[in-house]
Amino acid sequence: MKFKIFLTVLLASALGAAASAKTITLLNVSYDPTRELYVDFNAAFAKYWKAKTGDDVTVKQSHAGSGAQARAINDGLQADVATLALAADVDALYNVGKLVPQDWQKRLPNNSAPYTSTIVFLVRKGNPKGIKDWDDIVKPGVTIVTPNPKTSGGARWNYLAAWGYALKKYGSEDKAKEFVGKLFKNVPVLDSGARGSTTTFVQREIGDVALSWENEAFLVLKEYGADKFEVVVPSLSILAEPTVTVVDKFVKKKGTEAVAKAYLDYLYSDEGQEIAARNFYRPRNETVAAKYVKVFPKLTLLTIDADFGGWTKAQKTHFTDGGVFDQIYLK
Amino acid sequence: MRTLTPALRSALVVSFLFAGLPALRAQSNSSEIQALRAQIEQLDAKLRILERKNEIKEEAAATAASTTPKITINDKGFTLASADGANSVKIRGLVQLDSRLFFNDGGGVVNNAFILRRARLISEGVFAKNYSFQLVTEFGGSAVTIQDANFGINVAPSLQLKFGKFKSPVGLELLQSDSWTFFNERSIVTNLVPNRDLGVQASGDLLNGTLNYTLGIFGGLGDGGSTTNADFDNEKDAVARLIATPFKNDAGALLQGLSFGVSGSLGREKTAAGRTAGYRTDGQQTFFSYAASTIADGQNWRFSPQFDFRNGSLGLLGEYVVSAVNVRPSATGLKTELQNKAWQLAAGYVLTGESSSYAGVVPSTNFDLAAGTWGAFEAVARYSDLRVDDNAFPVFASAASNANRAKAIGVGLNWYLAKSVVFKIDYYQTKFGFNVAAPAVPATQILRQDEKAFITRFQLAF
Repeated sequence: MKFKIFLTVLLASALGAAASAKTITLLNVSYDPTRELYVDFNAAFAKYWKAKTGDDVTVKQSHAGSGAQARAINDGLQADVATLALAADVDALYNVGKLVPQDWQKRLPNNSAPYTSTIVFLVRKGNPKGIKDWDDIVKPGVTIVTPNPKTSGGARWNYLAAWGYALKKYGSEDKAKEFVGKLFKNVPVLDSGARGSTTTFVQREIGDVALSWENEAFLVLKEYGADKFEVVVPSLSILAEPTVTVVDKFVKKKGTEAVAKAYLDYLYSDEGQEIAARNFYRPRNETVAAKYVKVFPKLTLLTIDADFGGWTKAQKTHFTDGGVFDQIYLK
Repeated sequence: MRTLTPALRSALVVSFLFAGLPALRAQSNSSEIQALRAQIEQLDAKLRILERKNEIKEEAAATAASTTPKITINDKGFTLASADGANSVKIRGLVQLDSRLFFNDGGGVVNNAFILRRARLISEGVFAKNYSFQLVTEFGGSAVTIQDANFGINVAPSLQLKFGKFKSPVGLELLQSDSWTFFNERSIVTNLVPNRDLGVQASGDLLNGTLNYTLGIFGGLGDGGSTTNADFDNEKDAVARLIATPFKNDAGALLQGLSFGVSGSLGREKTAAGRTAGYRTDGQQTFFSYAASTIADGQNWRFSPQFDFRNGSLGLLGEYVVSAVNVRPSATGLKTELQNKAWQLAAGYVLTGESSSYAGVVPSTNFDLAAGTWGAFEAVARYSDLRVDDNAFPVFASAASNANRAKAIGVGLNWYLAKSVVFKIDYYQTKFGFNVAAPAVPATQILRQDEKAFITRFQLAF
């Protein structure tokens, strides 16, 4: 009898130990400049999840141009979550691979964009070319660094900000096309992603101005020193809304749906928003935003929905094969 | 105002010019330096842009390489593999065209021949890194047959599982690829071991790769037989093989290439037909077969010690097989256990210095007349001996029309024109022995004298 009790206790202990020893691995496939953000966030989430459930979570990161990452996921990269530069790239996960539902953007607050950013100019210290606004960078002799809109989400935001500025200032699409054409004439190198462009501008010392994510520009100042670079805020830019989603097909297959959802929910938590702000992303949470109000300059921002008719339209008009960008760049 | 004389004016102008010249020169030099500096800066910028473009191209190429499937065509076949190597499909082929010429074989025997000995299309693949398959289709002979059809699971180096149709792991030489045996034909020892069977086996490397085990359950076959792709009976064979390569990891050791071990099978057979379709000579002529009424009924077992040794150009292979079977002369006749035994010792030496190998010789140069290179040459020799149990005669087999012993010597020369192309010339001489009940002159024509066979083969294997 004693032996049976002993066996029962032993079995229960073994089962209990097996049940509590859960280790989960997630893959977050993201765009180029979010490396530092998600290093901080993943550590915080792992701590939060361990305290909540007792499970260990390891989040692996993959970073490249946003468009290229969307293609990689569609090609089979088993992402649990996609945190991409723009909604159009997440849309591709539905359009091409049917990996997420069509209404993926409605599943989380703020159209599934837990933080925002904008596009600013990064120039060399002293601003030797006297760059203050968009008109200054299209002048002959100014060299611009921006990535390829075909592969980079950031580049598409850059492009649309320039287009929106020219459309508002010069009043016609033809003029806007001419303006953006002049801009790309000044671009000697097209990197595939925003981080590559930063390398081109900062480390390879190419170009007079880099069109940059705001968070990336501040990161450059932090990492390389404000004595070497300056951030110039143009009179008008665009509200960049990086979006996030669980990749339904893969999380169901891997059994990670609950933790992947919790991971994205946590981006909206006070701590998640604080981490985003610390990494120079504009937080959605008003309390956190108020705390960091001095960090982020105020400027007029176009929006993708109001000024470009949404990402589907903007993508089709400007960035699909044969679109306006191809007409400008391949001319 | 007094005017200056022309001479004085000239002197003043000259003095002035000379006085102002260094300043002018300095001004000129400075603007030139500035222009040069600007030019250098422009060139430097252009150079950095070119370097960066090149860097981006290389990054793009590296990224593409990490996702682009790989196509490989070489002397091992045609391979399509995913970028990460976890999935691949390989197409290989084997074609053997033989010429058989028999000497002094008496009148009336028509056995000289050209034969398409093997014509195989081999497809192999790996999926999800650990799951493999093999499908071998034989187009040689009179009908298209499936030689091998199996899939495997790589659980760990110490545990590999295999299911389907494949070679039963008993005979050492039988397990060697058809392409790379020393001789055109395997020795008469192979008559006593099962060939391709349906089954499941587990195998793996232990003790740092120095011990290899194989355990399997198979449908069970008669000597030298292959399955007909179905096994409708309750009798199965358990097969095991244990091979040691104790010096495998001792680089440079004399015995590094030594492997030895044992294999065996144990099972029961109950067949309406005879135990074997027949034992054949090196020249592929039948010298023994059971009477048509003989049936296998009861336990059968095989035991085979074996070894393989390679050192530089030298290769040795030896095996002994005893195959025991319980047979009845008819469905109601008395059961008798028969033990047939055979052994062989074969040697090869690569005359051109390349290494001898169980997986074939790789010539250091290919045959190319224009380049003056000749490939590799290997001389081979073999002695083999098979004895049929005397108790088989005359109840289970005719003493008049069967030999009870065959002793064969073989010598040959293999010319490796390239890894995938081989020309082989073999000479075999087989001496037959007979049961005491046999007549002075055997009833079977080919047994009346030694078999002297000259067999050449042109082989393409990739």
